[in-house]
Amino acid sequence: MHSDTLIARARDGDKNAQGKLVQLWYKRIYNYSYKFFFDHDLAMEAAQKTFISMHRNVGGLQDCGKFKSWLYTIAVNYCREELRKNKSNRSLSLHDLRPGEGEDSYRWEESRNRSENPESQLRHAELSDLLQKCLTELPQEQREVVIMKEYEGLKFREIADVLNISENTVKSRMYYALDELKRILDRKKITKESIGYEL
Amino acid sequence: MNYKPDENTLIAYLYGELDGKEQEKLAQYFQEHPEELKHVQALAQARVIMGAVNDKEVIAPPVFMDDQSHGRPLWQTTTVRWVTGMAASFLFLMVAAKLIGMEIYYSRGEARITFGKKQGVAQTDAVSRLTVDQVQTMISSSLVENNEFIAARWADNQRKLDESIRHRLDVNSKKTEDMIRSFVDGLQNENLRSMKDYLQLSSAEQKKYVESLLVDFSKYLQEQRNQDLTLFQTRMSSMERNTDQFKQETEQILSGIISSSAGKKENNY
Repeated sequence: MHSDTLIARARDGDKNAQGKLVQLWYKRIYNYSYKFFFDHDLAMEAAQKTFISMHRNVGGLQDCGKFKSWLYTIAVNYCREELRKNKSNRSLSLHDLRPGEGEDSYRWEESRNRSENPESQLRHAELSDLLQKCLTELPQEQREVVIMKEYEGLKFREIADVLNISENTVKSRMYYALDELKRILDRKKITKESIGYEL
Repeated sequence: MNYKPDENTLIAYLYGELDGKEQEKLAQYFQEHPEELKHVQALAQARVIMGAVNDKEVIAPPVFMDDQSHGRPLWQTTTVRWVTGMAASFLFLMVAAKLIGMEIYYSRGEARITFGKKQGVAQTDAVSRLTVDQVQTMISSSLVENNEFIAARWADNQRKLDESIRHRLDVNSKKTEDMIRSFVDGLQNENLRSMKDYLQLSSAEQKKYVESLLVDFSKYLQEQRNQDLTLFQTRMSSMERNTDQFKQETEQILSGIISSSAGKKENNY
């Protein structure tokens, strides 16, 4: 995604390099947070806090090669903090207040590829939301591992670094997470065939 | 064989991270326990299904703000800037005062600001010794002088103003006359040219009209002649037809008479 030089420059206080890092990593951190919460506002909050923290503490980063793990560690901590706060103060985002159905749904506008057939876009967005809901049914520890492995493409070693646990524990959490996901998908009758039909 | 893979091994298999030896062992285990293989395949399928979750599009904040002021040079600090600004302003005022020769005095409760040549301060002593009458006389004489001066100035200005007005009027009237003259000349020339053009145009058009009239008259004559000839021909042919008809009728009458006379003769015989 970037060279170590950019991180080294950011570490030395180069504001442009720090800005560039934000541009490069914002989408990833936002998406990690979004999948974690399945809530836009909380994801934005966590992502912004992560990058403010990055800006303040990047000077203390020892090894440029560990920037990715370090950044995800910050993001994970802020996500956990937001989740704790949110548990004690539950609120509903306006974004999710009334998603509507079909063309009335805001998900139609959110759909990713505008060159696709609008109906296909809508189905794709709705399916994506359905699967994200399945993801939020996982326990927090398993959810973190699944998101980092499946969507953020981190290696088991990197996830272990981020969560400060052993690699075996990561694999074990991943196994139970997939097992639980399988159960959730079965319960909701979501199969590979039905996914293929939807898409 | 009592080999049973733990969940770490199964996950490593699922993500293709097992080495050759471990993989062989696991393949053998799956042959013996197909239900385990089925379970792992179900997990893989769950992975595939979850892969349909999309990333959300988000725009990163364009500017990365920093409100901390560490590493700022001394000359850029607010205090130094304020002090430098004040010193520069003071220096500017001093230079300006020197250039315009400004001086400020304060003596006996009187403050004075002067520009240019320095004025004597000792005059105040002399002024303070004058009596009220003298001052009144001085003021009166000064007023008279001033009035005379103003009157003379006013008369002079009046005279100059009159002269100026007269001069302006002369100049303006002369200019007006010239303008009128040039305008009338222009108008006359224009009229003359228009008349000439009109006459030329008129004569040319009249000529053309007469020519066209003559041509039309000759055409008329020709047409009349043609019509007369046609009429004559028609009448001639009509006469011819009448003559022929008359001839035929005569012949018929004659033949009728002849045949009737021949019939009478036969009867008589």
